[in-house]
Formats: sequence, structure tokens, C-alpha cells
Amino acid sequence: MTRFVRPVFFVLVALSFLLAACGGTPATPVTVVETQVVEKVVTATLDASMPELPAGSVQINGAGATFPLPVYTEWTYAYSYVDPAVVINYQGIGSGGGKKAIVDGTVDFAGSDSLLKDEEYTSGKDLQMYPMLAGAVVVIYNFAPAKEYPADFKAPKLILDRQTLVDIYNAKVTKWNDPAIVALNPDLADYLPAETITAVHRSDGSGTTEIFTKALTAFSADWTAGGASSIEWPVDKAGNGVGGKGNAGVAASVINTPNSLGYVELSYAVSNNLAFADLINKAGQKVTANADSVASAMADFSSAFSDKLTATIVDGEGAGSYPIVGYTYIILHTTSMTDCVKAEKLLNFLQWALTDPSATSRAGALGYSVLPDAVREQVFAKFGEVTCNGAPVLK
Amino acid sequence: MTKHIVPLPEQHWLRRLQRSVRHGDKPWQAIIIAMSVLVMLLMIAIGWMLWRESADARAAFGWGFLTPSLDTRWDPVNDKFEAWPFIYGTLLTALAAIVLAIPISLGIAIFMSELCPDWLRMPLNWLVELLAAIPSVVYGLWGIFVFLPAVVTPVGEALFETLGKAPVLSILFTGPIPPSGASRLGAAFILTIMIIPTITAVTRDVLLSIPPSQREASLALGATQWETIWQVLLPYGLSGILGAVILGLGRALGETMAVTMVIGNSIEGSPSLLRPGYTMASVIANEFAEAVTKLHTQALVEIGLVLFFMTLLLNMVARLLVWRVARRTPQEARA
Repeated sequence: MTRFVRPVFFVLVALSFLLAACGGTPATPVTVVETQVVEKVVTATLDASMPELPAGSVQINGAGATFPLPVYTEWTYAYSYVDPAVVINYQGIGSGGGKKAIVDGTVDFAGSDSLLKDEEYTSGKDLQMYPMLAGAVVVIYNFAPAKEYPADFKAPKLILDRQTLVDIYNAKVTKWNDPAIVALNPDLADYLPAETITAVHRSDGSGTTEIFTKALTAFSADWTAGGASSIEWPVDKAGNGVGGKGNAGVAASVINTPNSLGYVELSYAVSNNLAFADLINKAGQKVTANADSVASAMADFSSAFSDKLTATIVDGEGAGSYPIVGYTYIILHTTSMTDCVKAEKLLNFLQWALTDPSATSRAGALGYSVLPDAVREQVFAKFGEVTCNGAPVLK
Repeated sequence: MTKHIVPLPEQHWLRRLQRSVRHGDKPWQAIIIAMSVLVMLLMIAIGWMLWRESADARAAFGWGFLTPSLDTRWDPVNDKFEAWPFIYGTLLTALAAIVLAIPISLGIAIFMSELCPDWLRMPLNWLVELLAAIPSVVYGLWGIFVFLPAVVTPVGEALFETLGKAPVLSILFTGPIPPSGASRLGAAFILTIMIIPTITAVTRDVLLSIPPSQREASLALGATQWETIWQVLLPYGLSGILGAVILGLGRALGETMAVTMVIGNSIEGSPSLLRPGYTMASVIANEFAEAVTKLHTQALVEIGLVLFFMTLLLNMVARLLVWRVARRTPQEARA
């Protein structure tokens, strides 16, 4: 008997496998149910943005700079209560990645700290950058006093001027007790050690580095390494430089390296209670990095926008302007968006972020500065130029 | 009652089907072949993509991209790229880590397989496996905050004081080490810790799989336990141990996150172990996301290509080595 049973059994098993494999045939009720569910999901995502289905949720995707990521995360979260029909998703993949994504059209908007290059404007066709926030980069430091502070002595903040900062990162000023530093810090003169300064910089490509190095370029003609998201550091060549990964890596290096200094975002220094140096600005005034001094820097350059609405705002003239400041931008396609509901929702979100008191206070609490009115008006005027299928998005 | 079995004709379709799918041999074979072809296709696809995406950089820099030099450029602002500091950093840290890890791992493995009391074997085993399971970023964090200042800096200073003054070795041990400990030495130490579990686990299994007859024979001939381990067990398991070392080296070459966090990420001319450096994997991880110019991106991809070929070459050499060793050892060793 077994000789008959085995082949038959095999065939049956094989048949059942075949049937399962060709599950696409609507022969069994189970498969039909599955098909329906899938169809429903597909409908929801595809048709939600069509005018006749405004109730469906709109998914807006953005990607780019990590510098403003904490603010964008809070904004998108808060905005889900303002307009529950919009789901905004922002991924911090870096400015370079964000720009590639918007040029390729794989995201609806991109965030970037660095400016688009001419060839990117060309290949992206209708790209426009809009400043959203400004942030400052501060110099954190850690030196071991040459002798102990007296009991009643409260060490004042370190003060640096623009040229000295350039010289330190050029490895021209290499000792903490260099006359240039001593002259700027008379109160600390006895305590500045005769030790080598280890200058810490970001090892990862970063908008923070771009702002910092652009400032150094503006400060002095001695700075020849240029301003970009990653550069060749003269101080590395001299053997006094160390690269740390991210703000956290730089801060950890500075904390763990006696007699070092480094640069981090103001927001990072504030939220981690790191001591940072005051700088002497172009007007010769001592300034601390904070919302006011950053706003002053933005005001200095409010009429300096190019027709592309971009501006470098380092080394401002104003008496109260902090010199190492930069904008972070949003990038949009201005004429080629075809999904008008999505375009409108996106612009509404951006307008809300720039005007709503709760949105601006969230940004301020995180150590970022919001745009002054003069700049915001220019941004809104540019928003008005965005069209969808030939018609303006904002009425 | 007698059974009447009527055999089906040999060429009946049912018999043919039965023969071909008996024990699932044919379908199984097809699946296996498909999978191994997939692996090959994957390798080819990765290599081809790296080759194609680095075309401009290869054209622009040629072999100069790879030539050793003490004064190299990596300047994204002016689009000047040379990869030697990264190649050197990767090779030096990985080799240093292997040199440090081999004696330690062999020691642990021999202890676990030959000398360990039974009650200790299990916990030790767990600990070694746990070491392998810790994510590399955790090693990096621990490295920055604890290991570098507490261990690497003092060791580095001591090396600088002693070997730094020695005639030839001073090239590798000129200092001083940065006070934070961020250096190639720090990276090599972290890598050592990370590859110890890999080498240990495989070596232990190799030693345990050696038939007891080998040990008994050696001891019966009057060898001490030390002589047995050194002259019988290690040569017997040599090909397996070599394989373990190669696995460890592979991990050391490719490790990214922990190394990035402790190596200092600085391109300086000094070839010293005690100075900050950079590795190929680190520079890709650091700069790729924000690489703006086309040439910068392509130079990074080309570094990926170099790393890819280096790993490929290493594996081929390793395979040759294992074959040669296996040929020399007795028949049983290969079983």
C-alpha cells in the first residue's frame, strides 16, 4: 500500500504548495479579503491629496540639516495639533543629503545650512532657499589654571578677539599665556598656563563648521583654509588639532583635554551648561552669544539678501552683534509642485512656524533665534511667488 | 492475507516525479544555487557601484590618490584629495590591534578549553560573548570618557618615555600623546577589546574540537601540559586559529563608530601611534552626509572602493594561508 500512498501524498502536497504560491487567484475567500485591504491603503495615500478628499491626511516629507532638527521636530509635533490633517516628517540626514534629495525630487522640502551651488540651482531648475532660523556658534574652552584661584576669586569668562581666534586655529597662537590672550584677559593673566592649546574641531561635515569657518574667513585674511562644511585644518597639520564627532564629540574632547578649546552650537552649549568665551566683535565691543546678539547680527544684514534670498551674516558691524552667526534654510521647488493641496499645507506650516508665538518661543527656548520682522517680510513675499500648476499657492 | 503490490512502470510520470522530488533534493538544490549566486551578484554589484561612482575622482587624482606621503592634502574647499593618511591609519590601527589581541585571545581560549575549572567555564563563556554583543558606539562612549584618560594617556606617556627614545621604534612612538588620549593608540586599544571575543570564541571552539586522543598521546609520551598545548594542540588547530585571526582583522579594518570616537580624526603628517589619526571608514562616516562638491563625494566613494579591495585581498591571502597550513597538518586536522 505504501508505494501507492507516497507518490499520491507527494502530489497532493505539491499541489497545495502550488495553490498557495499562486495566491493571486481569487479562488479562496482569504485572498479576496487581503486584496481589498491593500486596495484601501493604497487609495488612502494616493487620493488623500486630491481636492475632493481634503479630510484625508497629507504626508509632507522633508530631510536635511541636523542643526535645526530639534526645532523642526518640536514644530512638526506641535503643528499636528494646529492642523491634524497634515503629517510632516523631517529627517536629519545632513545638509548635503537634503540638497541632493530636493534636487532629485525625493522630498517635498529640504533643510540646509549651506547654500546651493550654481550647478544645483541648474539641475534643480526652480529651487528657492528661505531662511528659517539663525543660530550662533560659540567657543568652549577648558584650561587648567597655572596656579590655584584664591578662595574669593570668581574666574571671569575668557575673552577672545577675532584675530586671536583665527591665530589659534592657524596654530600661530599656540600657548594659553600667549601675549595676545593675556592682553585680552587681564583678570586671568596670572592664571593662564604656559601650555599648548589643543584646538578641537568637528570631524564630521557640518553646518556648524561652515558657519565657524566662514566667520574665520571674514575675520582675517590670514585664514586661507576657506569656509565650508569640512575643511583642511591648519591646526591639524601643526599637530595641535583634534576632531570630534558631532557637538557632543567636540564637547567631550574639550572637557577631557586639559588646555583645549573647541566650537559648538550655542543651543548645545546652553542646554549642556558649557562655559563659552565672549568675543570682541567688529565694532570692538565685547559680546556674549545670546538671542539678542544674534538678532542684532541678523538686523545688520537684513538688507543684504541676494535675489536668491541668501545671506552670510558673520562678522556684523553692529555694536551688539555676535560675529559667528548663520542662517539655516528651507529649500522648496517654486513652480514644479503639482500637488496643490500639499503645497498649500506646506506653506501654511512654514508661515505658522515663523509667526505663531508658541512656535517662536519653542525655537527661542532651544537656543535658536527667530527672524526679525524685516527678514520675515522678505521670506513671506517669496512664499507668495510659489506657484502650483501655474496658479499661486497662497491666495 | 497476502498483499498484491503492483509496481508502476518505471517511466510512469508519477514515478519520475517521485524520483525527482524525493527528499526534496531537486528543489533544495535550486534554492541553494540561487542563494549562492545571489551572494556573488551582490559582491559584483557593490564593487561595480563603487567603481562607477568614483569615476571622476579616479580620473582626477589617478594613482596619486593612494601614494604614501607625509604631506598629503584632504581639502574639500579646493577639491584636493589624497587618501594615504586614511589608508595608513586603518592599516596601522588594525595591525596594532591584531598584534595585541592575538596573545590575549589565545591565552583566554587556551585557558577556557584546557585549564578552566568547570564552574568557571560557563560564566567566562558568557562574558566573552557579552563582550562581542556590546554595540560599538557604547565602546566609543566608554572610550572617550573612561578608557582614554584613565588608560591610554598614561600608557602612551610611558611608551613615549621609553620606546620613543629607541632608535628605530621612535618613528612609531614619537609623542607626546594628547592629554585626552585621542590617538591611533587609543583606537588600537579599543579595537583590541572589540576583536578579542571574536578570536577567542573561534579559537576555543577549534581547540575543543581537537580529538582527546591527541592530548592523551602527547601526555603518554611524557610531554607536560604546556608542551602538549604548545607543540600538539596549537599546531593541530593552526588553520582554524588563523581563520579566527582573519575574522578579527576583518572586523578591525571595517570598524567605524568606536574608532571615529577615539582616534582624534586629524590628518597630521606624523606616522606615530601616539598621535591622532584617521581611518578610511571614519572619514566616510564623518564626511559623506555633508559632502557638497561632486569630487568630494567621489573621493569618499573611492576610499570605499579601496577599503573594499583591501578587504577582498586580505580574504584571499587569508584563504591561501589557511590552505597552505591545512596541507601541512595531518589528514585528521582537516576533518
